[in-house]
Amino acid sequence: MNAAAGTGGDSKLLTLLRKRFRHWINSRIPPSRVVTLNQRRIFIFPSKVGLFFGVCLLVMLLAAINFQSNLSYGLTFLLATLFIVAVLHTYANLSALTVRAVHARPAFPGQLTEFELQLERSRQKEHIGLYLKWPDSDARTVSLVDEDQVRVQLHAPVGRQRGWFNPGRLLLESSYPLGLLRCWSWIDLDLHALVYPRPLPSPELPGLAAETPDGAAVPVEGSDDFYGFRDYRQGDSLRHIYWKGLARGQSVQVKQYAAYADRSVWLDWEMFPGLGAEQRLSHLCFWALEFDRAGDEYGLRLPGVTIAPDCSERHREQVLRALALHGLEDRS
Amino acid sequence: MKAQQQIPRNALGWAILSMFTLVLPHIERIPPWVLAVYLFAAFWRIMVYRGRWSFPRWPVKLGLIIAGFAGILLSFRSLVGLEPTVALLLTAFALKLLELAERKDAYVLLFLAYFVVLTEFLFSQDLLIVLVCVLNVVIITTALVALHRPGDDRFNLRPMRQAGVMILQAAPLMLVLFFLFPRIGPLWTVPIKSQQAKTGMSEFMSPGDVSRLSRSGEVAFRVNFEGDVPPRSELYWRGLVMSRLRQGTWSALNFYEVPASQRRQNEPEPLGEPLRYSIIMEPTQQRWLYGLRYARSTSSGIMHSADFRIFRPLVIEDDYLYQVRSWPDTVLEPELSAWRRRIELELPDGANPRTRRLAAQIAAESASPAEAVERVLNLFTREPFVYTLQPPLLPERDRMDAFLFDTRRGFCEHYAAAFVIMMRAAGIPARVVAGYQGGEVNPVNGTVIVHQFDAHAWSEVWLEGRGWVRVDPTAAVAPERIELGLEEALAEEGSFLPDSPLSPLRYRKIDIINKIRLRYDALTYSWQAWVVGFDADKQFDLLKGFFGDFSARKFAAVLLGSWALVLVPVAWVLLLRRKTHALSRLDRLYLNFCRRLESMGVARKAGEAPRDYALRAQRKIPRLAEQIADVTKRYDQLAYAEGASQDGELGEFARAVRSIR
Repeated sequence: MNAAAGTGGDSKLLTLLRKRFRHWINSRIPPSRVVTLNQRRIFIFPSKVGLFFGVCLLVMLLAAINFQSNLSYGLTFLLATLFIVAVLHTYANLSALTVRAVHARPAFPGQLTEFELQLERSRQKEHIGLYLKWPDSDARTVSLVDEDQVRVQLHAPVGRQRGWFNPGRLLLESSYPLGLLRCWSWIDLDLHALVYPRPLPSPELPGLAAETPDGAAVPVEGSDDFYGFRDYRQGDSLRHIYWKGLARGQSVQVKQYAAYADRSVWLDWEMFPGLGAEQRLSHLCFWALEFDRAGDEYGLRLPGVTIAPDCSERHREQVLRALALHGLEDRS
Repeated sequence: MKAQQQIPRNALGWAILSMFTLVLPHIERIPPWVLAVYLFAAFWRIMVYRGRWSFPRWPVKLGLIIAGFAGILLSFRSLVGLEPTVALLLTAFALKLLELAERKDAYVLLFLAYFVVLTEFLFSQDLLIVLVCVLNVVIITTALVALHRPGDDRFNLRPMRQAGVMILQAAPLMLVLFFLFPRIGPLWTVPIKSQQAKTGMSEFMSPGDVSRLSRSGEVAFRVNFEGDVPPRSELYWRGLVMSRLRQGTWSALNFYEVPASQRRQNEPEPLGEPLRYSIIMEPTQQRWLYGLRYARSTSSGIMHSADFRIFRPLVIEDDYLYQVRSWPDTVLEPELSAWRRRIELELPDGANPRTRRLAAQIAAESASPAEAVERVLNLFTREPFVYTLQPPLLPERDRMDAFLFDTRRGFCEHYAAAFVIMMRAAGIPARVVAGYQGGEVNPVNGTVIVHQFDAHAWSEVWLEGRGWVRVDPTAAVAPERIELGLEEALAEEGSFLPDSPLSPLRYRKIDIINKIRLRYDALTYSWQAWVVGFDADKQFDLLKGFFGDFSARKFAAVLLGSWALVLVPVAWVLLLRRKTHALSRLDRLYLNFCRRLESMGVARKAGEAPRDYALRAQRKIPRLAEQIADVTKRYDQLAYAEGASQDGELGEFARAVRSIR
């Protein structure tokens, strides 16, 4: 059913066929963030139920012939032509449906990512029982009856590799109205989920030992001295918002803590000499998360990338993204 | 199990509904306990549906299946035959409902339901039954559609529209297939309808048999003449020729009782112009066909017997259409073979002595056999004989003596039998002919409707030089029976259709009822002629009439052409029409605004809110910041404001959009 997602271990011929198929389908349904289903993109074939129905029709035809009953002929032919008319209706259920990639949530290796899509109809007509699934994701069945668009979230594990995770082609399938035919499309929505490096603890942060009190790996929260307030800026950690003031009706204020200039930590590619690139990235990832949790400002220095110290959700994303994409091409 | 494999409750509702509409047309031929199983299964399934009970476990299911089989075996004493099969199918259908949990069970159930509809056609192809069956197909298809609408948790009519539309679109294609699909003979012999009662005339006739038949208002057959309908006194529909009298009962000779040399018809020279007509018979479960004398049929598979009957080697189980030509003036069998003469003169020894004496006396007084015939008919006219549907019972022995000399009240079979006995006793070859006499001309379409109450018996005598001559002694007793029909003949007695007080035939005097009855009958005739009676011959004629010589290439062209004629418009409606629903002018203008910004390098992202988009665009194109803010603000106001937007405001909005350049 899913020749697109091949697994290894098959004969050479099969691999070749898979490759051919992938090539063919890529040219037929090229990757795109927005795909509208049309005759190039929709496949239709009798389902197993349809074949079973065909056998039933054959039995009915035999009964009609053997009993020489014209009305039995009539019923058999009516059902047979119903099958043929169903081809059009099944096809129409998918046709002119637009699938739009909305977003993919970044994830750590082995976690589930969430892909969000939007189905839109371009005609005032129902689309019923649309079954959506990526090769490894969970499945959803949605219908567009009264609403013009619907958002769908699908979840799939992202694998072990940092960087961009491509879930493969989305299977969009429906057998409405009679179930006798299966109508489907494999869409590449050009949707990639970012996979961060796997956080790998290291006992200590080399080169930081002097600044870190008693060598504890984790700076204890609140150990810094309170310094003052300032206005909330987008990206500030929620932890630092002055909630009491907010509750009193003041504007949103953020508590600032005294941060010594030399306390702002630089996470540096050169901190882990002798280790492999992936391992370095994993350690850096771990420490970035640790500092973020503690609310400490931290910066990142990778070959070719420098991110100034800060501590906010946006900053964390920036750092993790840089780590995830180190040595890879940035897609967006 | 995929989530979509569950059965929506709506589909379940439709399946249970189909269960009851399916059993309706079958109700008369299934044992009552099948109905009980039906109700029980439906009740159980509804309890499961409502979450009160659970599905039966496998031992229970197995028990039910075995009980079902045993029940059918007990009720029908056999599992072979159509009725047991139907009962089995219906029981299976009810039990399948009890394990209807997943979608694949539902497919089996619904396809089985289609098959049950088909079995109904093996019993009856009546117009009303067909309407019920069409309704059934719609309901089953609706259930099938509902099955694919996930999340439909309440019984509703929505899927019926889809099903109805599809069936309407399929119907013309079906008609093309119906008329073009080659009709071939049965591939193997199939179980016959074992329980179906034989109807109409029977092979045996003893006093009272025809009169019993005359109590029925059922239609026996319908005739369509190519030319004018002959006068009703000429409409003697010959069915059976009864040459043998045994223990007071007349019967036809069995095939094997006729010597091989006598089996072939001694084909007479047809005289004059033939009457051309076609007959559609209701099923009789018998083999003989009806026709005016001297009948020959051009339809395939019809045989002609030595006593000038037409018959079919196969039992007539369904409505049956055949073409006949008749030459009424033909001389039948001018030369009588010795064997035939002996058979047609045979009388049981010693029975009815008084009748035989009288006949011998008449024969002695007559100069010729023809005169003897006249004298006997005169006897029936002169003496106080009464034509009645309620004759007194006759004794076991010497029945005809009792009838002729004592009771003198009888129906046509009494007169025919008495007459033939007298003829034979007088030395004139004679036999009883059973069939129908007369018929009702339907003014709507000119067909002749022959009812069971038109059943009649008369006689044929063989006269030198004239061959077999029809003599109807009933005409001598009650001429109105022949001229006007049974109802008039029994007007005084008031015994017309005594068992069917509601038959529309009884209300023929009421104009409106009669009109409706005749219209419906005309419809039934067309139905039978065009649909039920459509066979290889008719198909050949039809195709030849339309296309002249018929080749395989033409066949394919017609099939594909006519299908394209239907499918292309359907595809057009489904796939091309109803294009993008019109965007409002406001939205069109806003999209224009987005396009303008896109050309400047700021494309709107999927699902991006207008305000976020504006912020982004302002940062990228600071020189237009003010205009962008203006357009966005106006759009928000117009799009989300209460009430319809004013044309004037839209005009200002359009100007604001145009300022983006």
